Amino acid sequence: MADTVSLLAVFPDLEPAADAIDKLRSLGLAHDQMNVISGIPVTEAMLGRPSQWTNVPRLALGGAIGGFLVGLFLVFTPLLYFVPVGGQPIIPGPPSVVLLFELTMLGLLISTFLGVFLDSTFPSYRPMQYVPEISDGKIAVFFNCPEDERERYTQAMTDSGAETVKEAEAQQL
Amino acid sequence: MASTTMPMEHAHSEEAHLREQHLMLDPRPRGEMNAMIMEAMHYTTWKFWVVAAILGAIVLVGLFGSWGYMIAEGLGVAGVNRPVFWGIFLVNTVFWIGISHAGTFISAILRVFKSEFRRPFTRAAELMTTFGLVQAGFSIFMHMGRVWLSYWLFPYPNQRQLWPNFHSPLSWDLLAITTYLLASTMYLFLPLIPDLAMARDRTAGGWRKNFYKVLALGFRGTEGEWTHLRNAMNIFAFAIIPVMFSVHTIVSWDFAVATRPGWNSTIFGPYFVIGALHSGMGAVIMVLAVVRATMKNMKYFIRPEHFDAIGKLMLIISMGWAYFFFNDYMVQWYGGDKWTEALLHWHEAGPMGWMWFLMLIVNVAIPWLVLWNKRWRSNPWIVFVVGLLINVGMYLERYIIIPISLTINRMPFTWRMYEPGIEIPLSIGTLAFFILLYMIASKLIPLVPVWEVQEGQMAHSMKKFGRETVVTVSELE
Repeated sequence: MADTVSLLAVFPDLEPAADAIDKLRSLGLAHDQMNVISGIPVTEAMLGRPSQWTNVPRLALGGAIGGFLVGLFLVFTPLLYFVPVGGQPIIPGPPSVVLLFELTMLGLLISTFLGVFLDSTFPSYRPMQYVPEISDGKIAVFFNCPEDERERYTQAMTDSGAETVKEAEAQQL
Repeated sequence: MASTTMPMEHAHSEEAHLREQHLMLDPRPRGEMNAMIMEAMHYTTWKFWVVAAILGAIVLVGLFGSWGYMIAEGLGVAGVNRPVFWGIFLVNTVFWIGISHAGTFISAILRVFKSEFRRPFTRAAELMTTFGLVQAGFSIFMHMGRVWLSYWLFPYPNQRQLWPNFHSPLSWDLLAITTYLLASTMYLFLPLIPDLAMARDRTAGGWRKNFYKVLALGFRGTEGEWTHLRNAMNIFAFAIIPVMFSVHTIVSWDFAVATRPGWNSTIFGPYFVIGALHSGMGAVIMVLAVVRATMKNMKYFIRPEHFDAIGKLMLIISMGWAYFFFNDYMVQWYGGDKWTEALLHWHEAGPMGWMWFLMLIVNVAIPWLVLWNKRWRSNPWIVFVVGLLINVGMYLERYIIIPISLTINRMPFTWRMYEPGIEIPLSIGTLAFFILLYMIASKLIPLVPVWEVQEGQMAHSMKKFGRETVVTVSELE
């Protein structure tokens, strides 16, 4: 198998970046061999890319269930220290709904937040392929290609309107 | 010749006018906008430091000094006494929780409804939520008196054999406020990550570089990172709305579940929620007017169109508040209960009756008289004054509901007027602390979510219908 090289092509705008992705596809690169880095959210549809997988909604649901179970525990704590009061239920209904609601929502929101950390592997302070111009509006296409076809890929990116095409070096952010 | 060039000129001037009016139609290169935001954070005049020093002194003396004194001397230095055991501390708690509602309202509800005008000031409003809840938390601990024993609230095996009842209304409060504080802080942080990454990229070195680097968490803006972030923000936007409603509803139940005249009302939940939005929106517009006037480059991001839009919301909310107020009043008045009648009379004709009338004037009459006019509600300083007055009115409303209503009860021999003592410096201290925290935050984090503004600018364009140029928005998500 030929050696591969990671290249980072920086584009001034969305259109040339989308063209470049089409070219990379026609050159034989699979979608999972490239990634787009941008300073604003660019949807997959705009770039003709497949939908990204995210576990955040599932984690959120899991957190909601966990929160609900903690709520149930608190609702039934009076059974652990049974104090009968005349005319009062040991486990009253409506206040239990309040407890269950708050803890379910707390579980849902905390797990959603943590879901972003887990799915994005945050925090990550190791060196990564990046150029600071991205946060100034540039769009970078990061891809792996065979070493011996580097020139061809670089030319294709330049033809699409890339401002720079260089070997992607991991740098400290 | 003139007949061929005139329509062109007209079209150009119309477009220029629309650009001047709408931030979303007036894009600048992203790098330039980033530079403007960074400059706003870094540019600090001596006036900033003077105001910060004064506020810092007030916080030290008014908040921590007075609190320390109260801890040393006991709750006796406060004005709470029989029959008014709930005084200004709880007025402040309700007030600050009310202020905190604006952030979620603007950031979540307007996001769900895709109201584009929200984009430049969501963060400014979200910050108010977090810092407002901090003050509410302080006020609860002040009210507690023996604050060093607050751990008694928590259940753990102990020699006293006392286990808290999680079904009690005060436990609902603890849970609701904790949930809302955590949720709103997380909701503030998520959309901040890309802007912190931008600040990291534009900061050369020093402690600021490390600050942004740590908080940006290594964000680069890959497709995956944006997808996870967008999903999480959507979940938050929907889920935090019922939490927001629950918080102030539960606060209202602290009063409504008691069988006291004036409090035992089924409409207190929505009445409190609309009151919270009323004061919160008033506070947002005040903050925006001050930020626009004092921070560099903010006139580009915060424009009269934003004051106009918030002004309309304030007008609608003011109408909603008047409706709920009257509904609450009407049912109690019609009920004819002797003690409730006495209380309503006390509100209007008692020694503090001026508060009741002033509340109605500033919460209803003034907003209705001023905010119907587009030119007035687009003027930052006019709406600043209206927002300030609404906040005075909403503070009075809570004062009337709590200490004034507690002054009289079914046992006339216990009636006694409430005279606040150390509560006054403590209240001024919490206000100063809120402003100080906000000022510090404005120098550390981008107050305008630049990426959200640019995303909105991408989606907006102008289109001609016949002779008229109109604004159009594309759905990008």
